[in-house]
Amino acid sequence: MELPANTRAAFLFLKNEYLPIPVISTTPATRMSKQILKELPELVRANVISEETAQRIAAHYENQPNPTTNRLLVVFGILGGLLIGMGIVLIVAHNWDELPKAMKLGIGLLPLLVGQGIAGYIVLKNIQSRAWREGCGAFLCFAIALSISIVGQVYNIEGNFGRFLMAWMLLTLPCIYVLRSSVTAMLYIVGVTWYACEVGYFSYNFMEGSRVPWKYGPMLMLVLPFCYTEFILPGIKNNFYYFISWLLVLSLTVCLGTFQGSDQLLMMAYMSLFSLFILLSEIKLFETQRVLTNAFLVVGSLGIMGSLLILSFEWYWEDIYDNSTLHALAGDVETSVAGAVTLMAIAMLFVVLRTKSAAAINLKAYAFLVFIALFFLGIKTPGAAQLLVNLVVLVFAVYTIRDGARKNHLGILNYGLLIITGLIACRFFDTNFSFVLRGLLFIGVGVGFFAANIYMIKKRKQGA
Amino acid sequence: MKTFAIILFVFMCVAQWVVPGKMIYDSESVVTSGTVYKFKTQPIDPSDPFRGKYITLSFEANRIDPPGDHPWRYNEEVYVTFTQDSAGFAMPTSISTTPPAEGAYLHTKVSYVDSGSSSPVGFELPFDRFYLEESKASEAEKAYWEAQRDSTQVAYGVVRIGAGNAVLTDVMINDRSIVEVVKAMNRTPE
Repeated sequence: MELPANTRAAFLFLKNEYLPIPVISTTPATRMSKQILKELPELVRANVISEETAQRIAAHYENQPNPTTNRLLVVFGILGGLLIGMGIVLIVAHNWDELPKAMKLGIGLLPLLVGQGIAGYIVLKNIQSRAWREGCGAFLCFAIALSISIVGQVYNIEGNFGRFLMAWMLLTLPCIYVLRSSVTAMLYIVGVTWYACEVGYFSYNFMEGSRVPWKYGPMLMLVLPFCYTEFILPGIKNNFYYFISWLLVLSLTVCLGTFQGSDQLLMMAYMSLFSLFILLSEIKLFETQRVLTNAFLVVGSLGIMGSLLILSFEWYWEDIYDNSTLHALAGDVETSVAGAVTLMAIAMLFVVLRTKSAAAINLKAYAFLVFIALFFLGIKTPGAAQLLVNLVVLVFAVYTIRDGARKNHLGILNYGLLIITGLIACRFFDTNFSFVLRGLLFIGVGVGFFAANIYMIKKRKQGA
Repeated sequence: MKTFAIILFVFMCVAQWVVPGKMIYDSESVVTSGTVYKFKTQPIDPSDPFRGKYITLSFEANRIDPPGDHPWRYNEEVYVTFTQDSAGFAMPTSISTTPPAEGAYLHTKVSYVDSGSSSPVGFELPFDRFYLEESKASEAEKAYWEAQRDSTQVAYGVVRIGAGNAVLTDVMINDRSIVEVVKAMNRTPE
């Protein structure tokens, strides 16, 4: 099927010309080239390479741009743009009331003109420099905020901060695509999150309570085509990718709570969201080399374990038992959000199951299904559900320890042990076990920590 | 492809100028041709992270006894007209769900509804902030509280109202701009 000309142009623009040059890369090219250059005389002496080849290798590395310098330039470009932008906002916020209105407006709107001028130059000359693009994006983002603020300040326009944030972010959005700026995308995600928090958490109104920031979802989605074309499509996993994925995951985690109607179903929404994160981390597209750079996995796993530990207390189950939750299930904000997130998790589970066997998937990805079963059990028999949550936590902990041992990863192994410690610590407060028994449990886990770590280190030494 | 980037860039620039431009145009048209009203007020001293220091104003003329038995709802869009009381301060005269055919009126929302159809209806006055130079905001607050202790002093906001929009142009204490009052306070040694 032939795409319409405009759509096709847009797609090609995003797909091809859009592929960025990975300036910030995790490859330690400089260190490697230095090492090679150091080895050259030895290689010539040992007759591995000829003198001429050695000279050609040396010339090759000398002619290459130094990535460390590039990286520094990008960092300084970003910092410069951010600091200058924020500095001007603060200076204008001083509100120089000696200045006439027109001059105040002129000064407030000038940075926007300057930012657009630089952006225009970058676009017209097709400048590829990451430092320029990122720095200009960061500066322009704050220049936009300033342009709206100065008019508000001069004409004493009523302050609805949520609306201001929304206008600011929607005007910032095109900068991401025009400049292909990851920093602007990060600022956009932070701004959209701020908007949702402002509307959902901070603007409590006594007549209508908290409002639901419905526009948050669509606004966040508008940044996804950039992430797809910038990182996923070309398969680039650089520092910008890590930062953006962390921000996106944290934003969703923080803002899901704003879709709160009554109470209890929010937990279901969160369990499904965390499971969805883990399922996403199972997809090849989102795989990273280190655990900590995979925001989906870290937040998903910590979220599930944290939620389960909360659920191991009595109060949640008493709450759903007392409130005859089944009656409240229909027609609530939370119901639709929890339903939507759960459906997405189920769909993702099917997607992952097409490439992996059920046993090969991280066990915690199934947490949302377990929780749904426990939820309906808890409505009738809260005590049994609470007891089973403890069991589920224990199973996940053992699974994590085994996973750590299998992957020879001390971090994962200790995480599993920490989950058990967390569970025991939680039970420390709400059980009638004797002090001696609780003490023995702690000693047991402590010994477990030592034993597991020593075992792992020994295993590594043997393997080496 | 470059053409597409340029089109997107032009769209971006236009959008980024339209928003502040529209705000300036709307406010400027009220400032030049709106009717002046004086709203009695009480300021305090908060701060806005982007626009700097301001004083928040809460006005007395923010409710009206509604005519008829229209069931007013919270957040409903309404049109309010004003007149002057015997002391020269603004007083709401009518509230309706449709804009008046002529004259100055304020387009706003219902902020408070009491039970009972004849109870007063509260409405938002969307000019609750007056921005001041950083160093003057807390001084302005002091000046206001001085005015409160002294019953002969009166604080009010000068508001221009046009066809729907309103712009707060100054805050006065005893017919002197609060900015002038603060400047005079700074000149006088304590």
